[in-house]
Amino acid sequence: MMRWLQKLGPENRSLQQIHSHFLQMLVDGRHIFDASANALIGGTDLDVIESDLFTTDQRINATEQAIRREIVVHGSIHGAATFPALLVMMSLVKDAERIGDYCKNIFQLARVGAVLGTPEQTAEMVILKDRISKVIVRAHGIYKSQDEDDAKGFLDETADISSTCEGIVREDLRSVGENRAGRVLAHRYFKRVVSHTGNIVTSVVMPLDKLDYFDEPKR
Amino acid sequence: MKSLTIKPTHVKNSRGSPGNFLEILFRILIVLLLLAGFLVAIQCMGGSFKLMGKGTSEALFNGVVNPFSALAVGILATVLVQSSSTTTAMIVALVGSGEVSVEHAVPMIMGANIGTTVTNTLVSIGHVRQSGAFRRAFAAATVHDFFNVMCVAILLPLELMTGVLSKIAIRLTDVFAGSSGSSFKSPVKSAVKSAYKAILECLEYLGLDGTPLAVVLLVFGIALTFFCLIFITKNMRSLIAGRMEQALNRSLGRSGLIGIGVGILVTVGVQSSSITTSLMVPLCAAGILTLQNAFPIMMGANLGTTVTAFLASAAADSSAGLTIALVHGLFNLFGTALFFPFPAMRQIPISCAEGLAERASKNPMWVIGYVLGVFVLVPLIGMWVFNSID
Repeated sequence: MMRWLQKLGPENRSLQQIHSHFLQMLVDGRHIFDASANALIGGTDLDVIESDLFTTDQRINATEQAIRREIVVHGSIHGAATFPALLVMMSLVKDAERIGDYCKNIFQLARVGAVLGTPEQTAEMVILKDRISKVIVRAHGIYKSQDEDDAKGFLDETADISSTCEGIVREDLRSVGENRAGRVLAHRYFKRVVSHTGNIVTSVVMPLDKLDYFDEPKR
Repeated sequence: MKSLTIKPTHVKNSRGSPGNFLEILFRILIVLLLLAGFLVAIQCMGGSFKLMGKGTSEALFNGVVNPFSALAVGILATVLVQSSSTTTAMIVALVGSGEVSVEHAVPMIMGANIGTTVTNTLVSIGHVRQSGAFRRAFAAATVHDFFNVMCVAILLPLELMTGVLSKIAIRLTDVFAGSSGSSFKSPVKSAVKSAYKAILECLEYLGLDGTPLAVVLLVFGIALTFFCLIFITKNMRSLIAGRMEQALNRSLGRSGLIGIGVGILVTVGVQSSSITTSLMVPLCAAGILTLQNAFPIMMGANLGTTVTAFLASAAADSSAGLTIALVHGLFNLFGTALFFPFPAMRQIPISCAEGLAERASKNPMWVIGYVLGVFVLVPLIGMWVFNSID
């Protein structure tokens, strides 16, 4: 009876459930990023990775759809007071889903045998890849803890990675001679993964209307 | 240094905080008090009809002798108060006090079922600016209307010809409350009676007597019924919101029987079929719930709402109150049994609702015509015509 009573009440367990599903999307996002980046840089067997990668992406998409349904149900039951939180979540799931999409693009670069430059440049990419993987893990932790100081530090780091990627893209676009399209695209996709991860963390420090615009004053 | 592995996230079935737990207990206590108030309100209404005397109440309820007129009264009264629970509770009080017979009350109960659907139809109008969403929302709202109208179209003539619903209800009353002639002894009745007597004495102390006393008691009873039902619904909604959400999330895209179960549980929980059916409207408008999946939930809501009449019958003076509550339950049970098991039958209200929604999404005049026609003009004209015939 007591246990039954404790499960009643206005406490928002269903919103926790939505957050939990969203965090699962980040877990999958990190997994799909590692798998696709390893396929591109690490030389992992593509056939081995492909099925896992597409299954993970499908799971991310299915979770996004499930969260959207849960959002509508939650909003219908709890009314207007919950709308800001639900609108934020609607925006965040799109970012988490886009991580999966860019990882598929990274994998496609591996599939077509994109040229990534010299062994030194590839080694730099490995370092960058590891940083991005850690960033996704951090985003998961920060979103869960809602730690604002940590979030601000995190956003500085994502800005740094983005600017590194952007610098490489610009440099390669200007260079003449060897084919650098693969390298440019890979860095462009890395940057997008970092940006979408950063967008997720902006929800910890920014109001609803400023989501995704943490760096705007710097421009 | 922080771990770099993300563990899969699962939400723990967290227990509520002590403060939250106290709030829940407080709300449960409030609901129990409101329930007691609701029963006292029924007793007050029943008592007021008795105090009015035979002549006055006969004059008042003469209009419901004609079954079609009684049906129209049921629709109009429910549209007016926007709550079938209030209407059915009043009907139970009327029948329980012996002022209206079960036979005359049956069409009114059926009318209350139709009248209650106006709420979700009005909710669906909120989506009118988006054609696609409005089409789905309006279809979700009107499928309930069509279902109830069709149930009445089949079961009212059957009841008038054979008395099947009232006969079964009387049999069941005999089973639950002893032989039909005996006085129905409810366990809560004596407590409710004491509260009623105290109210009556208070009013008499204020110098009221005869018809004025009856009128004040009736108004007090109706107001108290309203108040109690509104706040029972409000508190119960707050109490079971999480559970309601879980149930709805689980029922999305599931089989019809689960939908009926969810509809019954949610409606019994919040004591309002309008809340359950109105919840379906935005879900259908957003396209996450199909009309085929929403329809069983609405049938469940129809079944769940009958609990209010059963609660009200606990305060009624005679077993006839229980009989009319049983008629309400049987009517909705028969309606579900007629439409739910057979896909072809189930498709009839769905197709009608989709057809109407298609037209309404192209021309809003259909919405205005439909709402005014079904819920206001037809019942008014019906009441006038059938009363004139009598």
